[in-house]
Order: sequence, then structure tokens, then C-alpha cells
Amino acid sequence: MMRAVSAAETAPTSYAWAVHAERLVVRAGRHLAVNGLDLALGTGVHGLLGPNGAGKTTLMRALATVVDPADGRLSLLGEEVTGRSDLRRVRRGLGYLPQHFGFYPRFTLREFVEYMAWLKEMPKAVIPGAVQRAVERVGLADRADSRMKTLSGGMLRRAGIAQAIVNDPQVLLLDEPTVGLDPEQRLHFRELLRELGVDSCVLVSTHLVEDVAVACTDVVLVNEGRLVWQGSPAQLAEQGGTGDAGDSAAERGYSALLRAHRAQVTA
Amino acid sequence: MDGLDEGELLRRVARGDRRAFDELYRRTAPWLTVRLRRRCADRDVVAEVLQETYLAVWRSAGSQAHASTGGSALGWLWTIAAHRLVDAFRRRARQERVPTVQTFPTVAPAAEEEALAGGIDADLERALLALPAELRQVLHAMVLDGLTARETSLLLGVPEGTVKTRARRARIALREALS
Amino acid sequence: MNTHPTPVLISRYAAGGAGVDDATVWAVEAHLESCAACRALLADAVGPATRDLLDLVGDGIAAGIAAGPGPTRRRRLRPTGVTARILPWLATAVGLILAALAFEQTVRSLPSLVLLVAPVAPLLPVAAAWSRRTDPAWELMATVPRRGLWLLLRRTLAVLAAVGPVLAVAGWLTGHSPALWLLPCLAFAAGSLALGGLVGVDRAAIGLATGWSVAVVLPSLAGRRLPAVLEGGSWPGWALLTVALTALVLVRAADHRRLGAGRI
Repeated sequence: MMRAVSAAETAPTSYAWAVHAERLVVRAGRHLAVNGLDLALGTGVHGLLGPNGAGKTTLMRALATVVDPADGRLSLLGEEVTGRSDLRRVRRGLGYLPQHFGFYPRFTLREFVEYMAWLKEMPKAVIPGAVQRAVERVGLADRADSRMKTLSGGMLRRAGIAQAIVNDPQVLLLDEPTVGLDPEQRLHFRELLRELGVDSCVLVSTHLVEDVAVACTDVVLVNEGRLVWQGSPAQLAEQGGTGDAGDSAAERGYSALLRAHRAQVTA
Repeated sequence: MDGLDEGELLRRVARGDRRAFDELYRRTAPWLTVRLRRRCADRDVVAEVLQETYLAVWRSAGSQAHASTGGSALGWLWTIAAHRLVDAFRRRARQERVPTVQTFPTVAPAAEEEALAGGIDADLERALLALPAELRQVLHAMVLDGLTARETSLLLGVPEGTVKTRARRARIALREALS
Repeated sequence: MNTHPTPVLISRYAAGGAGVDDATVWAVEAHLESCAACRALLADAVGPATRDLLDLVGDGIAAGIAAGPGPTRRRRLRPTGVTARILPWLATAVGLILAALAFEQTVRSLPSLVLLVAPVAPLLPVAAAWSRRTDPAWELMATVPRRGLWLLLRRTLAVLAAVGPVLAVAGWLTGHSPALWLLPCLAFAAGSLALGGLVGVDRAAIGLATGWSVAVVLPSLAGRRLPAVLEGGSWPGWALLTVALTALVLVRAADHRRLGAGRI
């Protein structure tokens, strides 16, 4: 069957970065959780690290277009995100797993992912195949027809990842995706992450420095709503010395960078 | 079983009919294999893709039978296989073990082949043959195989920007040749 | 346009290799996807290596089928998340109308409760359908492209379809002209959608319901008089209002696609 290829599909990519933020300010309630953040992300797996309250979740929400930026510039896939933009094109190419993954308990996993695929405006005919593929990629093929309320914590997390990747998003935002996963599942997940990073922009927010060090091509460290440091995991490891807290080179690098940033901020 | 077309077989598979599934495999797997082999030189990859494809068909035929309104069973089979093939390439691209895709130099059509298999007409065929091979390859992946530019770039091992450029040049060249 | 490739051509295609030029490959592949007879020829023409591959894969598939889940059985009645969530509110709305009906038929001294309640009863389930508090997946729902007017209208019409018949029965039993309970009902629904483009449909619905209760229902009950806006001659005004608000909703459709937490 021949498919018509639209001009839009073959037009050259008009943007340099899939995610580009300049002096981004985002509120969480009254607090400026993201406060002047600059960020440029391209293809690959980017690990988002930072202490609690650093603004990671708020940043993810802003990138997922859940909240409006209060100030600064944000562009996703070349589209400026403001209070007035029409974000349909961007949202079709987005995948998001929130930190608190709310779901509909009486849906089966397959039905839920199909529903999300439909909401993401995937063509009806491709949805069942895409859902099966997403469910297999997260290792939940044998639970696809169970109701979501029967899934364990780790399975629910993976279900959340499945709905995020069902539309092959160009920008994939995962907030704490490894919570509740056992070590074997985490290994499997890292494989999946690396695969996804080959041709899309993945941002993974996590507490586990090791997850980042192993699976990510790039590390983004934020603190108090600002970008502290961005570099490769190897460079992160180089930042730390023997005096820094941490059980691994990456953790030591993380501590060193945080310490330096705090000193800089209070100075 | 013999009188049923593939769409009907698929509907039976959706109801759990194993014999219908086996018949579907018997009828369509050779076609799928040959088509996959022309895009991937690695037999293990082809085997893996075939297995994943038919298992996916077995498991999700139920939801597909409901969603397809028109659109052939074979089109669906190919779509699943193509996506699994691209996934296999993606997994290997990460480890830089991309299975080579065979490209063939253009062979001048022999006399008996000038009676075309229904699908494209003589003008289009001439225009296609006049294109440089790499442009034709991109068109084949995007138009006939139904892949996006991103997926084509993974399949051909070529950057996405290059795929898009070649697609644009191909469109221009074809439009000129056919006008 | 239905010429088939020759069997020789099919064999050469099946053999792989450079024996067939690209354009012919294109034509053959396009044809094979829709021609079962030629596919059967192809199946006979494949070589032993391919047959071995097919057998091997066949065994793998059989093992996979034995080990894994069977074909999905599609449930006939698909529960949408929205229906389950707003069911209690629909029940409340229906209960409210029935209570108003009962009251009106027993307590003759008060003005028509059915007419007073009619505009706002559907607003409760409409608010519930769009409220973050009732939607566990609100954060995901805020990121999807399929938002906007179409989804909005679908849900609102569904609510009206559920509440409407009850209202019709109540109106018929109390002998009120349909225009007097239907038009205000529609007007308020359209009003919630229109206002919802600014502040979010759930807030708009609650706001309008509260406003109507305070400004019209309470004084009416206290004064034991039907308000002027619900008198017999008022229905042209309601009709005009409904049309105007509906037009506004359609014109400002783009409002509903904008981003923003707390909006739809």
C-alpha cells in the first residue's frame, strides 16, 4: 500500500534543540520553583538530578505543558510555549510520566494505553499495534488485559512508561520512572532508555545517581530552580574528589557540584 | 480454511482460533520473510522480527480486528513487522552494530519485465529508475514501507536530515520527470 | 491495471539478490501486498534456506504462544473513565430534580421548584466531568492534544442527554411549558462552556450554579414568587441567550485549546 508523504514531513528541521529554555520561571503555587533556568536538550538520554525541592518536578510539568511558564522563554520541538500557543502539534510528539501517576483503576492496561493513544490523536487504525508494541517494550505483555487496580507498584510505573511511549514521542519526560522497580526491572528499563535515546530526546528525573550515571548520555544538575551543571556522566565523576560524600565517583561528583553551588549562592 | 481471505483469518485468530493462525502464518510468512530479507542482511534479525511480529498478531488481533475499518490484514502485518525491524535496528544502532542493508545497482529491465506488475505505471517506473539509488531507497522506505523520516533514518543508517533532503529531492525529480 | 508479475519474476524476487531492478521490486512488492495468488506462488518459490528459517521461527512462535497470554478479548462495554467518575454527580442531579418535583407537587405554596432547579441541575455533573479533583489522571490529561471544543461538547451533550429526560418527565408532570425548563438549562450549559474558556469549565459551572442559587433561587423561595426571568413570556429571551452563548462558544473554540493548569 502506498502512502502519501506530506511536504511537512520532509521539511528540514527548523529547530536546533528539542527542548530549549531560557531564563525560564515557573511557579508551583506561590513559590518560584523554577527560577531563571537555562536548558538546551537534544537527542539522547538526559538525566535530571537535584536535591528535593530543586524544582525538578515543576520543570518536568512545564516541559510537559501541564503548567504555563510565568516568565522567560520555552520552546519545544521548535514551538514557542506561551499562554496563547496552540500546542497540539507539540503534544502529539510528547510523552510524559508524572511523578504521581494517576490512572483509571477499572480500565485494563491495554484499554488505558489505547485511551491515551487516542487522546494523543494517533490514527485509529494504528493504535492497537502501537499499544501492543508499547506494552511489550516495558515487559508487561502478559498483564496487558488485567485491570490496572490489580497491578503492583512497579508494574504501574511500567504501565505509566508504556502510555508515555505509545506514540513514539520525540520528547519523552519521565519523572522518577524507576520507583518500585526491582533491580532486574531497573536493568531492563535502562536498556529501554538507551534504545529510546537513539532517536528521541529523553529527560529522566531521578534520585538515583547510579541510574543516571549508567544509562544517560548527559547529566543535568539543578538546584533551587536553576541549572547548576550539565555534562557527561564521565565528566560528572571527574568533579568529585576523595573528600566528597558519596559511594561512587558519580555521587561524589554530584556532592561536589552541589556544595560549590550552595557556596556560590550564599557568597 | 482454504476459502477464507487473510482478513477473515485474522478475525478468527482474534477469537483464539489456532488453526486460523497457523494458516495465516503459512500463507503470509514467506512473503514477509522475503520482504524483510530485502531490507536486512542479518538472518538472526529477520528471524527475531518475524517471531515478534506473529506473536504480536496472536496477542493483539482482537483489538486490531475492531479498529480496522478497511485497510488490509497484510498492510497491518507489514506495519507491525516494519516497526519491529526499526526497533531491532535501533537496539543495534546504540551498540553500533547496524546490520547492513543491501543496496543493489540498477539493473536494466529485461524485456519480460516490461509487462509491469499492477501497482505502478510505466511513466512512474521510468521516473523512478532515473533517480539516483539513494533517493529511490528513501522513497521506497517512506512511500511503500510507510515509515516516517525518523524510522527511515534508522533503517538506512543515515541521519534524519539527510533522509528528509533526499525525500525532497526525490519529490522534485519525480514531479519534473512526470510532468 | 491488474497484470501479475510472471512466475519467473516472482522467483527472482524471492531469491533476493540483485537480479531484479529497484523499480520492478517496487512494483512487485506493491502488487504482492494485495494479491493472494502471487503470494502463494512466492511461498512455493522460496529456497531451502528460507524454508528452514520459517520452520525455526514457527517453532519459536509456538513456544511463545504456549508460554504467553492468548488473544485479547475485547470487552463490549468499555468503561470510560469519565462516566464512572461522574455517575454519583449525575445521580445527584437526577435526585435534585426528582426532589424538586416531589416538593412542587406536595407543597403548593412555594414557586415552581422544578423550574428553579432546572438550569443548574446539569451543571453539577458538567463540573464534575471537568474538575481536577475528580480526575485522578488530571496531570496526564493536561498534556494531551485531543482537548478543546469537540471533547467538551461531547461530554456536555452526554450530560444533557442523561439529565434531559428526567427533566422532561418532571416538567410534564408539573405542567410547565417545555421552553421554560429546557431553554434556561441549555443557556446555562452554553454559559458554562463559554465562561469555561476563561476560567475552566468546572469553575464556570460551579460559579454559575452558585450565582443562580444565590441571586434567583433563594430570593424566589423567600418571597414565594416565581422570578420574572422564569415567567411565561420570558422564553424568547432565554432562546436568544442560548443562541448567543452557543455562538460565542463556537467562535472562541480556540480558547479551549490553550495551555494552563486548572483549565480543561
